[in-house]
Amino acid sequence: MASHAPTIEVPLPPKELQREPLVLNHRPLGWISNQIAVIAEGKAPMWWWIAFVPSFIVMCIGASMIAYQVGTGVGVWGLMIPVGWAWDITNFVWWIGIGHAGTLISAILCLLRQRWRTSINRAAEAMTIFAVMCAGIFPAFHVGRVWFAWWLLPIPNANGIWPQFRSPLLWDVFAVSTYFTVSLLFWYMGLIPDLATMRDRAKSKLRQIGYGIAALGWTGSNRHWWNYEKAYLLLAGLSTPLVLSVHSIVSFDFAVSQVPGWHTTIFPPYFVAGAIFSGFGMVLTLVLPLRAICKLEDVITIRHVELMCKVLLATGSIVGYAYGMEFFIAWYGGNPYELYAFQNRAFGPYWWSYWSMITCNVISPHFFWSKRLRTNLWFVFAISIVVNIGMWFERFVIIVTSLHRDYMPSNWAYFSPTWVDIWTYIGTIGLFMTLFLLFVRFLPLCNIAEVKVVSSHGDPHHPLGGAKGGH
Amino acid sequence: MKTIPPPCPEPESGQKYWRSLEQLADAPEFRQWLEREFPDGASELVDPVSRRSFVKLMSASFALGGLGFLGAGCRRPEEKILPFGKGPEGYIHGVPQYFATAMPTRGTAIPLVVKSSDGRPTKIEGNPDHPDSNGATDPFAQASLLSLYDPDRAQRYLQGGNRISKEKALDELSRISKQLVANAGAKTAFLLEQSSSPSRRRLVSVLQVKCREAKYAIYEPVDLQANRRVTGSTPYFKVDQAKAILSLDCDFIGGEADAHQLIRGFSAGRRIQKVSDSMNRLYAVEGLMTLTGMNADHRLRVPNSHVATVAVHVAARVSPQNQQVAALVARLPLSSLIPPFDPTNADAKKKADDRQKFLEGWVAECAADLLANPGASLVLAGHRQPMAVHVLANLLNSALGNVGKTVLYSPVPETATNSDLSALATALRAGQIDTLIIVGGNPAYNAPEDLKWAEAQSKAKEIIRLGAYEDETFAATPQATLHLPGAHYLESWGDAVTSDGTSVSIQPLVAPLFDGLTELEVLARLAGLETTKPYDIVRETLRGSVSGANFEETWKKFLHDGFMPGQKPSTTDRQLSAAEVTQAFASLAPVSLSKDSLEIVFHRDYRMDDGRWNNNGWLQEFPDPVTKATWDSLILISRKTAEELGVKNMTTSKTTTDIVKVTLQVGGETKSITGPIWITPGMADNSLGLALGYGRKKTPQGGTGRIGNGVGRYNAYELRTSSTMGFATGAKLEKTGEPRYELAITQEHGAMEGRPIIREANKAQYEKSPKFANNFDLEAHSDFIPKNKTPEEGPLGRPKGIYEHPYHAYETRKSMNGVNLEGKHVKSDIHQWGMAVDLNQCVGCGACVLACQAENNVPIVGKDQVKRNREMHWLRIDRYFSGAGDTLEAMVDDPQAVHQPMMCQHCENAPCESVCPVNATVHDEEGLNVMAYNRCVGTRYCSNNCAWKVRRFNFLDFNRRSLDQLIGTPNAVYSSPMVGKTDGEWTLKRWWKNPDIGTRPQDEWDILKLVRNPDVTVRMRGVMEKCTFCVQRIEQAKIGQKVKAGQTGDVRVPDGVIRPACQQVCPAEAIVFGNQLDPNSRVSQLQKSERNYEVLGFLETRPRVTYLARIRNPNPKMPDYHDIALNVQPYVERSGNPYEPHGHAADHGSEKKGAH
Repeated sequence: MASHAPTIEVPLPPKELQREPLVLNHRPLGWISNQIAVIAEGKAPMWWWIAFVPSFIVMCIGASMIAYQVGTGVGVWGLMIPVGWAWDITNFVWWIGIGHAGTLISAILCLLRQRWRTSINRAAEAMTIFAVMCAGIFPAFHVGRVWFAWWLLPIPNANGIWPQFRSPLLWDVFAVSTYFTVSLLFWYMGLIPDLATMRDRAKSKLRQIGYGIAALGWTGSNRHWWNYEKAYLLLAGLSTPLVLSVHSIVSFDFAVSQVPGWHTTIFPPYFVAGAIFSGFGMVLTLVLPLRAICKLEDVITIRHVELMCKVLLATGSIVGYAYGMEFFIAWYGGNPYELYAFQNRAFGPYWWSYWSMITCNVISPHFFWSKRLRTNLWFVFAISIVVNIGMWFERFVIIVTSLHRDYMPSNWAYFSPTWVDIWTYIGTIGLFMTLFLLFVRFLPLCNIAEVKVVSSHGDPHHPLGGAKGGH
Repeated sequence: MKTIPPPCPEPESGQKYWRSLEQLADAPEFRQWLEREFPDGASELVDPVSRRSFVKLMSASFALGGLGFLGAGCRRPEEKILPFGKGPEGYIHGVPQYFATAMPTRGTAIPLVVKSSDGRPTKIEGNPDHPDSNGATDPFAQASLLSLYDPDRAQRYLQGGNRISKEKALDELSRISKQLVANAGAKTAFLLEQSSSPSRRRLVSVLQVKCREAKYAIYEPVDLQANRRVTGSTPYFKVDQAKAILSLDCDFIGGEADAHQLIRGFSAGRRIQKVSDSMNRLYAVEGLMTLTGMNADHRLRVPNSHVATVAVHVAARVSPQNQQVAALVARLPLSSLIPPFDPTNADAKKKADDRQKFLEGWVAECAADLLANPGASLVLAGHRQPMAVHVLANLLNSALGNVGKTVLYSPVPETATNSDLSALATALRAGQIDTLIIVGGNPAYNAPEDLKWAEAQSKAKEIIRLGAYEDETFAATPQATLHLPGAHYLESWGDAVTSDGTSVSIQPLVAPLFDGLTELEVLARLAGLETTKPYDIVRETLRGSVSGANFEETWKKFLHDGFMPGQKPSTTDRQLSAAEVTQAFASLAPVSLSKDSLEIVFHRDYRMDDGRWNNNGWLQEFPDPVTKATWDSLILISRKTAEELGVKNMTTSKTTTDIVKVTLQVGGETKSITGPIWITPGMADNSLGLALGYGRKKTPQGGTGRIGNGVGRYNAYELRTSSTMGFATGAKLEKTGEPRYELAITQEHGAMEGRPIIREANKAQYEKSPKFANNFDLEAHSDFIPKNKTPEEGPLGRPKGIYEHPYHAYETRKSMNGVNLEGKHVKSDIHQWGMAVDLNQCVGCGACVLACQAENNVPIVGKDQVKRNREMHWLRIDRYFSGAGDTLEAMVDDPQAVHQPMMCQHCENAPCESVCPVNATVHDEEGLNVMAYNRCVGTRYCSNNCAWKVRRFNFLDFNRRSLDQLIGTPNAVYSSPMVGKTDGEWTLKRWWKNPDIGTRPQDEWDILKLVRNPDVTVRMRGVMEKCTFCVQRIEQAKIGQKVKAGQTGDVRVPDGVIRPACQQVCPAEAIVFGNQLDPNSRVSQLQKSERNYEVLGFLETRPRVTYLARIRNPNPKMPDYHDIALNVQPYVERSGNPYEPHGHAADHGSEKKGAH
């Protein structure tokens, strides 16, 4: 570990030209490669095992829950009529929302030339892919006859029956699968130069072959870089609308229906904002401990954290505005059924979930107006978890409180989850953590190549960078 | 090998032909030729080389077969079907047959037509040809089908606890018979059930001659023929002729004999076809909230023990000259109904004075209304009330001139008796009875507690018992009992008489499944008669009662039609003698109740009756029409009394309630029961309602079966004595402190929240603004567009939404783009189905719920699953209470109630269809919203998007699991087929052998599959299901019509031919199904009515099911008159008065017909 290598003194530019550096302490390029790549090399450290073993066990519990559910029936969950969806779709939307930050960071921030994205985009993209995988489990297994779930795919068949293209669930299938495919490609694309680095650094034959195959023969030639940059830009352009579309379409599951509390035109933008909100929350939850454990404070700086907090503040405010607007329209629209649905959210039997949501999503991000709090890492970590709890409640509130009391008072009822509901959900967290830890163990968790570009050594105008040959 | 012709069983006869001379000679060559598989010279696998190639070939084939293992090799087990050796006459495979029969009830019968599919009865309907039937039945008749296939029915002949053969049992019977006849029945007693069977009456009279020493008693725990004791004859009520009806605790709409017939009359008297039609008015005086009270225009809430006082005061006003009644008025003043109060407290005094004034006003105006309708009024007394109330009802009907008009006396025969149950108990204890013959009934469970019947019964040396179950009566003395399994009525020959005097035949639809005996057979054998076949007995009875030469034709007609006109009900008045009246009145005295001295009402349960349906899953899961409870017995209590005693129920997250202990002095002993409390709106204060028929157990000796085992916390019979059969007083109630108890209630929320789901008006409001029903809800506030050009053509139009109806918009857009859709129109232009439900007719009895369950193979799910809101009923009855005022007190204490059958609305623009990702729920060309079960993957999105929540999801394979596997722990641990065992075998292996069988035990599976309607799919788990309008019946009718039409091409099904199960069973004729394209069909006529409206019509889904608004007929002079129906009041407060034009609708609505 070379984390405490002597720092290099350089003359500072004039005050007015100073920008807060994205890589602190003028870390040289070699240091960056080494510092990031070393996490995926050598023997697995103790902290990794401590995190991995419980995650793996929880994942196995989740898998056995699903086996039990498939073998016995959806009735092992707490679902019923009128609450036909509850934790299943809540978890689905929650995971999909989390899956938003990665592609947003890599694609939209890339197009907007936000250079700070480079140190967190890899981990965020990995998080996206794993979150979408977790999300996909729920719609697949919440159906009554899982073995026929493939009927949602437009596969030509002898019966001449096609899926129903008017159904938002079908749009989900397309939206989520497209999003997953593009995100995966994008992530893999970005990995190629770093995989080559890993290959070049590899000591064992096995690793050389493995990374070698995955690196697709990357040599770092000018031509390779030229193609790479082009492809990366194209994929960024392709992903950008997907970031907006996938959660809009997920929100159509609700907005297109006629359930009071679901049937709202505000849903698409509000869901996208909420998704980015929860996605950034999850990025912070993951990155803050990693940054400390892997000694990446110079790469993932306080400035990064602060910027992400600002995103949380902005999207959290949009979400808060949307909550208020929903209520206003429920009153202004004059539809007594809708008005009741919203009153019932706040003051009905599920009042606790509504006020949990308000506390977590509307109140908590506003602490970030304070720079002192934005830079307090323990506080930021706590709020990032609160945000994710709040966003889970948001989906629960929308789904369950709208369904449990809709048009006909005769079939109003109260939903309670069973232990299978709860463990299936925890199981997907286990799956997510397992996959993420494997990612941390085998792939560089920051984009080595791009971080170098934003370091002082990579900047041709910087005294340390460019042709001068800094080191 | 070539099939060798089987040897001819008989010597060949006739002309003999031969194939060849060799055959003629029977040469060995010919024999060999016959047996050879291949002709001479064909290559055969006889030499070793060929054998090797055979092995090679075969191994190649096996290998290829193995390749296709997943596709073709993995097959379900082969199931061979065997053809009929000979076709039974008149049998067409798959076409059901219908037979007329009847279900015997207490003292009368319900005429039936039963559907038989491949020789097993699968659906019960009323016999519409019967002169006193509209083809309707009650819930019990519907559910009796399931009892036929109950695997827990008695199946064994037992003597002294040991199994014997049927032949041995019959020998025993003849031995006993010889002994009986020899000593003329000395020391013998017969205990029978009520029956109207002429054959039984004849057999008992034969017995009474042969065994004149024997005692004969009839016992019914719920004596629905109570008023027979007054007049000596069963009254026959013509409710439809009555304009003013007073019910004295008589639940004629739900809990009395022949309720379905009385409902028919009641609803007929309320039918409104045009605004000027008159309707009857119902006054109810009762303590329990009953169906009758829920349908009453005025309901006086007094404890059951005070009903007599109210009856006395009504009688005194109707016939003031009657001295005996006048004397009673002094003895039972109305003030005795008011609880004692402190006269110094001005507030309490004012309250008491108000109540006194209220009661006087109520009684006076009710009496005045009765008097205003001489000969067209009706006073009914309930079976729980003492004789005096029946006498008063009789006096009132006489005084009002109703006898011969609305009250007739029916000639239903009754078996003569010379003893009763308590006399038998005394005699048994005194050792005067050695041989006890119990035919039917279950006295050890349901006899009055003071008789200690089980103990008395054990004094008999020998008991002969015919019982459908090895129940408590059997369990009491198994060692002394000769137990004969009783046959179900669908397995029996018999006869009965309906309350209008018509004889009905009981024909078996199936041979006794468990080889049981019928009552007639047992009695005939005991009487030592030559004829012991029930068929012959019934035939003989009929032969004795009809004259005429051609008996065979009469008999055939009797069986074919199912009935035969009998003696008409008598119209002459039965005046009671002064002595009889005095005797009946003697026991009347004021009863004072308080929270420390409560009244207990023992009520016939709407589901269990007296306990006889305890093992019937359909009835256990049938929601009580009042409380909507399933799988439980509740202790009903009023809000006030519950508050005073500090008990409550809670329904926020789980429906839980306090467990209380009810204590009563029974024959010198203090007896108590514990059970869950339930605060019932409209329940009288200081009164508790205890349902009969629960608290039964399954024990190794006998008892109820698997379904009824342990259902209900208490057995109300433990508190019931021979003197308190209807109600008892002096009970105490206290909280036990047990943890709250969870109930399975299908409708947790009873208020309509000001939503105009059920729309109603008082008669006067309706007359003033007949189109009020369309002046409700959001559509009332939007613009109005005409649908038809003139008012005569039908409803004037629909509210205009912001958006055009999507179907129309689509078509308009297409035509604008130059695509003509005319040729591609898939809508049928001969049939468009629709349904109208007249809420003014519906009384909420729930027969439709069970008819639907029976017709459509709807599974039961058990208490635990109902608690989880997973009941599967395709049709439910929504019940809402509404009270006056804002205070909880006023809301709950004297509510009005409304009922609404709710099933799939078959929306034209169905919200469920557009969200299904796999096209599993789609529209057909005749306007049905159909479910393709095979296509459903079970996303449940359709249910979420259904505003009426009428779709049902099969969460746990309810058809293939037995109930005990559906009982989840609080955290839902269900046996999984992957790990469980059934019948001692690993379930997965069992499933592999037969994937259909599920995890049900074999005996359950074998018999319960017989009850299924073969015309309807049995749905598996993970599939959404819902009302189909009985599409199987629609298709059968269409096929029938096509066959009939032949070359004429007239394939339009005539109106009235298709009747879904709910319509067919409805005694009130509230449900009408038909073709909307036929302007003359009944459904079109009803949907043109000004009362017609759509529930949640503003959603623009265009339901094909519409409702006709309810009309109340309150008396404006009554003190409990409300200007606006209570149910509508919250709506009025929020959205304005719908009876007066308002908003946009006012400009365009009812008053200006066709203004646009």
